[in-house]
Amino acid sequence: MKLKHLNGIVNLALTDFKLIFRDPSLRSFLLLPIILFVFVLWLLPMWVDQYDFLVPYLPVFLIVAVVENTQMFCFISSMVLIDEKETQVTKVYGVLPLTAPQYILSRLLIPFLFTVLLNVVLIALQPFYPISWWENLLIAVLAGMVVPVYVLAMNSYVSNRMQGMIYVKAFNMLVLLPIAAFFVPQGWKGVFAILPTHWLFQSIDAVVDGSDPALIFSIGFSFMIFLTAYFARLFMSRHFV
Amino acid sequence: MIEVKNLQYTYPGSRKPALQGLDFSVERGEVFGFLGPSGAGKSTAQKILYKVLKDFQGSVLVEGKDLQLWGQSYFTRIGVGFELPNHYLKLTGRENMQLFASFYSGVTLKNIEELFAMVQLEDAIDKTVETYSKGMKMRLNFIRAVQHDPEILFFDEPTAGLDPVNANNIRTLIQDLQKSGKTIFITTHSMHTADELCDRVSFIVNGKLAATDTPEKLKSQYGKDAVHVLLQNGSERDFKLEDLGANEQFISFLKEGEVKKIHTLEASLEEVFIRVTGETLRA
Repeated sequence: MKLKHLNGIVNLALTDFKLIFRDPSLRSFLLLPIILFVFVLWLLPMWVDQYDFLVPYLPVFLIVAVVENTQMFCFISSMVLIDEKETQVTKVYGVLPLTAPQYILSRLLIPFLFTVLLNVVLIALQPFYPISWWENLLIAVLAGMVVPVYVLAMNSYVSNRMQGMIYVKAFNMLVLLPIAAFFVPQGWKGVFAILPTHWLFQSIDAVVDGSDPALIFSIGFSFMIFLTAYFARLFMSRHFV
Repeated sequence: MIEVKNLQYTYPGSRKPALQGLDFSVERGEVFGFLGPSGAGKSTAQKILYKVLKDFQGSVLVEGKDLQLWGQSYFTRIGVGFELPNHYLKLTGRENMQLFASFYSGVTLKNIEELFAMVQLEDAIDKTVETYSKGMKMRLNFIRAVQHDPEILFFDEPTAGLDPVNANNIRTLIQDLQKSGKTIFITTHSMHTADELCDRVSFIVNGKLAATDTPEKLKSQYGKDAVHVLLQNGSERDFKLEDLGANEQFISFLKEGEVKKIHTLEASLEEVFIRVTGETLRA
């Protein structure tokens, strides 16, 4: 990759932050991790001390915190790209000396890395379970991979902000739905396996439970890589026209 | 510069082909135009030429090289002025230009301040684009298309939605680009824009080319080389343009009374279009 191209890609990634900070609704979403950190590091320990019945649900709280951390950039990046489509700026990218994979990389690498970082910090600081650094990193990377899948899928189907808001609700429901696996009989758990976040949730549960998470991580990563490739292809065929 | 043979394209999911075997060429330094109503296939043909639509049939050569074989360097050689304004509204004009400039390598970029001055936008350079009028955004579209000094320029409806003053400014700028040797391909449904700018035009209707020639030839072919004279007393006559100054009948007719109107009987491009295609140019 030529240095000039790299310059363009970095510029584009930085521009995304400019756009986020200049849009009050997107800017406010950057506060979400702070609220989550306050909840996980301060409120939840306090409640758990006071109410014992919450203890069995701690893995679920941790899972929800990780996934909410992840959804921040899912939402923000999706809206930035939808806005770009609505204002037809995407057409300009179709006639620039920039390949579609370079475009995707420039738009999603930083949100992915931020999501990984936020989750690494959250998991490292949570006071409930001792989690090794490599398990922490694997969970955080698996969670981070939800961002490109979510954003690419959303932008493969949505063409304007209004439509985007409706899809966001549907997508958020799909992301969170596998939580239900913790509340159904064991035999029904497999139903949620078709949803990629199921494997993220199960991996967190396996890690805090002390079980061997290797198989779950393997399936989770394979599933995410497949979905990223599938939606990247779909996105590239639809986004710039 | 551009050689197109039997170009066909059907949009995915559609049964009706958008382009049905177009043949045309654009010479180096020429302003070539596609003139046709909305939905005729003008923009589809342009999108193929600037490589946004890929699964076409037929042959497209650009500078003698198959379009499919051109890599990313093709995009440094072309500039595209889109039909509608498309900018980041929360960024300033300067930030928009700088961002898109940052993707070009191996080319000399034009000075941003000079580009803004060229389209009388120098006072708005550091204002966010959301504060621009449509005319200002279209001028920003224009300078973004030319900032990397491309050899080939595509303009889709370059004067659509502009007031007469701005439309005239854009036409003048396109003429200046031609003078500097650029090859320009425009699509328009504006007869006036095509007539004023294009060296040659193709009439396109329902994905087919109905005629290609210079606007002058098309107009004279379908009009009359004559003038029509109407006198205040109501008398009117047509006279051939050939040796009009030496035509004694013409001169004596002028002496019969005060002239109310005198005009050539050349057809307008719009009239030619309607006669050739049986369609109107209205969007």
